[in-house]
Amino acid sequence: MKFKLIYPKWKKLRGQTEFHLPPHGPVVFAATLPREVEIDFVDENLETVDFNDPADLIGISMMLTSQVKRGWEIADQYRKRGIPVICGGIATMLHAEETSLHADAIFLGEAEGRMEQVLDDFRKKRLRKVYDYRTDFPPIASVGTARRDILKRQLYNYKGIQMVDLFHASRGCRFHCYPCCMSFVGGTEFRPRPIEKVVEELTAIDNNRLYIVDNSLSQDRAWEKQLFREMIPLKKKWCCHPIEDHDEVLDLAAQAGAWFVYQAVFDTSDFIRNRIKRYHDFGIGVEGTILLGLDRHTEDDIRRLIDFLLEIELDLAEFTVLTPFPYTPAYADLHGEGRILSYDWNDYTCDKVVFQPKQMSPERLQELYDEAWKIFYREKPQPYRMVELFKRVIDMEMADGSFRRRQRARANTKFGRGEI
Amino acid sequence: MIDDLILKLKKEIITELNLETMTPDEIDAEAPLFGEGLGLDSIDALELVVLLEEHYGIKIRDRKEGSKVFQSIKTMAEYIVDHQKK
Repeated sequence: MKFKLIYPKWKKLRGQTEFHLPPHGPVVFAATLPREVEIDFVDENLETVDFNDPADLIGISMMLTSQVKRGWEIADQYRKRGIPVICGGIATMLHAEETSLHADAIFLGEAEGRMEQVLDDFRKKRLRKVYDYRTDFPPIASVGTARRDILKRQLYNYKGIQMVDLFHASRGCRFHCYPCCMSFVGGTEFRPRPIEKVVEELTAIDNNRLYIVDNSLSQDRAWEKQLFREMIPLKKKWCCHPIEDHDEVLDLAAQAGAWFVYQAVFDTSDFIRNRIKRYHDFGIGVEGTILLGLDRHTEDDIRRLIDFLLEIELDLAEFTVLTPFPYTPAYADLHGEGRILSYDWNDYTCDKVVFQPKQMSPERLQELYDEAWKIFYREKPQPYRMVELFKRVIDMEMADGSFRRRQRARANTKFGRGEI
Repeated sequence: MIDDLILKLKKEIITELNLETMTPDEIDAEAPLFGEGLGLDSIDALELVVLLEEHYGIKIRDRKEGSKVFQSIKTMAEYIVDHQKK
């Protein structure tokens, strides 16, 4: 049985240097399929979907809201050809009703232990319209090592440098952040994977550089410390979402190879200033994810915030505009107040103002957003800051003997594209 | 003496940057390392920084210093000689 698994393309953040990471959802999902299933994975950000290539079943994996419209187009095309389509992933959960109009089946929730049944239904031509496991999480120990073998690894390579591999050590999140839908998607109970499974998977990844995609590592101190202790001998280098601000935790994280963290920066408080300083004190870099357009943000606040970012010496900054994704507190507020200006999901790329801001016009917020990138990167341009951050990981690797040179034979290629 | 160092650097650059198709004779010590000359790129620049650290114990502190040092193999050699005297 040939299962074609497609990851639809989307428009990347304007202003950010082009990069493509190997997707995580599809490889985690692929691990839930029986081994006899032949999987052909297509990342449409880097490849073209060949609709004439034969397949028995099409899977469309969607993580982002900005992928869904393209995902529906792909589904429609295959169904016209008489090939059944099943959709899954976070964005399918956020847009379930609309997606079910374009698919033979939608899968909501986590797939471990469920795919044998779905495939059996498919073989017997009795696929259900909806497989709804949203509130029925499988045992966390059943999460296996992701099937990274389905990836065409040369596509995730920039001039001979392999991009980080994505990995997760836990699911669920006990925080309820304003712009985030993760409590809806993965539940509010923190569900750490058994440490031995985590180590087993980490050991199997043929890449020294990783992105630990857990919502936040700062959920359970004892677990966090145990995780980092176990990671020290593996000599991996990694970026991640926030790490708890605690001496021993930060020290262990640094020993375990913490390279840099993505840290949300939303105001100019001493709390944020100190948070960034603490990471730096432990030799951990910081890429700020800067959210503009909260109700309390005036024009002056946004300008002050950009100056503040330079003052606290953020290593990199990624600017986003508040975007009301379904099932987030932001959506509840803005939708409830009639302030959402666009429900075109292709606009939900986080660099477009799709709502009426409280303190200014949408056009003014859009201008300030564009200015933010320019001002932050004026003195030290983005490529230079990225090289500095890259040098940081090289220094860490040289110190523990894990440094590997880039693949020179690919020096003239960029994400699978030939000569530059 | 600087000629010996230039030859050594050429060999090291060929090895470390995997420029296997080149020989030391083919590399002009005064040609620009980047762009039109040897055709190296920004990631090679980073690898040259690493090479200086690993082989000569010399740290390049900032971009300004780097662009002075990495003009050509000759400027690299001169920088090493100058730095090692101190």
